[in-house]
Amino acid sequence: MANPTTHTYQVNARLAIDTLEAGSGEPLLFLHGAGGLAWDPYLDALAERRRVIAPYLPGTSKSNDISQVRDLWDLVLCYYDLLDALGIASADVIGHSMGGMIACEMAAVDQSRVARLIAIAPAGLFDMENPMPDIFAMLPQELAGRILIDPQSELAKMLGALPDDVDEQVEVLIQRLSTLNAAAKFLWPIPDKGLIRRLPRIKAPTLVIWGRQDGLIPVGYGETFRSLIPNARLEVLDQASHLVQLERLPEALSLTLQALQWPAGDAP
Amino acid sequence: MKTVAFNLMPYKDLPADFEKKYDSVWVSIPRTLYDPRKGHQYYHDYLDALETAVDLGYDAVGVNEHHSNGYGLMPSPNLMASILSRKVRHSDTTSLVVLGNSLALYNPPIRVAEEMAMLDVLSGGKFIAGFPVGTSMDTNYVYGINPSEMRERYYEAHELVMKAWTSDEVFTWNGKYNQLRYVNTWPRTAQRPHPPVWIPGGGSVETYDFSLLNDYSFSYLSFFGHKYAKKVMGPFWDRADALGKDRNPYRAGYAQFICVSETDAQAQIDYEEHVKYFFAKCMHIDPRFFEAPGYRTVASLRAGLRSQLDGTAKVGKAILDQGFGWKELVESGYIIAGSPQTVREQIIEAARELHVGNLIWLFHVGSMPQHLTLKNLHLFAEGVLPHIRNLWPQWDAAPFWPSGFGDDPSQPAAHRDVA
Repeated sequence: MANPTTHTYQVNARLAIDTLEAGSGEPLLFLHGAGGLAWDPYLDALAERRRVIAPYLPGTSKSNDISQVRDLWDLVLCYYDLLDALGIASADVIGHSMGGMIACEMAAVDQSRVARLIAIAPAGLFDMENPMPDIFAMLPQELAGRILIDPQSELAKMLGALPDDVDEQVEVLIQRLSTLNAAAKFLWPIPDKGLIRRLPRIKAPTLVIWGRQDGLIPVGYGETFRSLIPNARLEVLDQASHLVQLERLPEALSLTLQALQWPAGDAP
Repeated sequence: MKTVAFNLMPYKDLPADFEKKYDSVWVSIPRTLYDPRKGHQYYHDYLDALETAVDLGYDAVGVNEHHSNGYGLMPSPNLMASILSRKVRHSDTTSLVVLGNSLALYNPPIRVAEEMAMLDVLSGGKFIAGFPVGTSMDTNYVYGINPSEMRERYYEAHELVMKAWTSDEVFTWNGKYNQLRYVNTWPRTAQRPHPPVWIPGGGSVETYDFSLLNDYSFSYLSFFGHKYAKKVMGPFWDRADALGKDRNPYRAGYAQFICVSETDAQAQIDYEEHVKYFFAKCMHIDPRFFEAPGYRTVASLRAGLRSQLDGTAKVGKAILDQGFGWKELVESGYIIAGSPQTVREQIIEAARELHVGNLIWLFHVGSMPQHLTLKNLHLFAEGVLPHIRNLWPQWDAAPFWPSGFGDDPSQPAAHRDVA
């Protein structure tokens, strides 16, 4: 795997954002989910072809705390400020889960900043007829069963691994909890913050990827995203749950790379 | 020492297999288990018991707030307090405590300023205002408050309520969570500048400092008794020293189950079943709802996690899960039970150990029937209360206890003669 480098950008008067970056070429922004940012094989493979920039959600890294962001609206503006700090007028943006919700907001609010959008099992909607479970009232082992099709897999072990040393364990758990704390700010008590009204504003050609067995956000939500985003294609992958891009890495990667070739502004 | 006769108002008829069959007494407790006819009887029995406590001359009667909770049937404690105010107003000794209103839940929070001012006026200036941050179960899970905003909302609401109580001018509030063009709370409080404030809480340093710096009384509310409370009250008094505050014991209170009977042996016969009901069923809380992400600060999380991982933490509930009998519950201080003499000796020892002036006495436990509740109240009033009243003769409770109508001479005293 490539060794990503850590960067810190002072994006505005109040906030510095930390990123993990690797690769070169056209910039590609990746927004992580409520589980936090980890440099995984999906990002690694993308970094072979593009300059991948993966910001830590404020409150989940060392340079800031979540109180520096007031609300979801403020967060979207902070990510535009990050693009400014990077000198990027318009970027391809990938977002997973909560990051997918934020990516959709970025594409809908200022249509000029997102060239192509890839939303992997994005949050942001809530269907009372088909409700997603409460991730904030879940025991750790239950969460694993919800986001992975096989909670006993090597992938699951890798994601859940804890160091032996108590001090290191504390820090790893603090990191996980801090990430969840920050995510809760934007997702509590249910993740519907009105995105459904803004999805039709998205102009970027959009790929929506979903795992058919997603145990966290039901696959049916994918069709809602597809139908409301004007230029969207939905790809549902079998034998995959919420971490679809890792569970079905070759397929998810291939779909992602194809979408990154779409002419910006064209219907897929 | 002053004694608050305090009632949680639990549901007394949860099914025998409740803790096996259902997930939680709180948040997700099935509504179908609530029988309104029983509820009707409970409310009036509980109010009768609290009114009896006024007749018996306890220093205060107290109620509190919970939501979707099988052991606390008061989503609105102010409703109960308003009924009690009718009796309290005639008493020379008994004050009225609402411990309290979770400030972050009220929108706008001037509702709290208004209702508590009503209670203060209704009771004749004998009202104590409690401002808890609130549990995660009530605040985040049931009332949907974003945990990342909870403390900020609480502090802003507190500031707004205090300003509403103390300002003689109509003012505008431009807060982060509340924007009000005209704040002008009618009625005014009976006490000037405002009723005494008590802060019920767990063991966070933020709460100690907030109580101490504002000269509010801190109440440690747990169901695990005096030995467990030592972990909290020790650090609280250390903070008082560090902040240059005196050690007036009325700066602090703690909650305790106390069961009085004729003899120690009779106490077990009378109360064991009802105490076990409480710890088995009312403490049956789904761990999924213990703590929303962001409820605790990262500093408190770090301290808590370390003691969990290295095995030094013994959480009250975890000890119970090991299967406590009556003997262990008494020996561990979860309950104080026995003859009046046994009880008063233990209370005095605990109060001295914790250095607390306010005893928040949980006089009703679990499924306790009304005749036992009244027996407990009478035996305590006769055999315990007179012996613990003068525990802190050198200290003045006045800064933390009600004064009746407008006693602060620096404030307009127009209402002084109304009493």
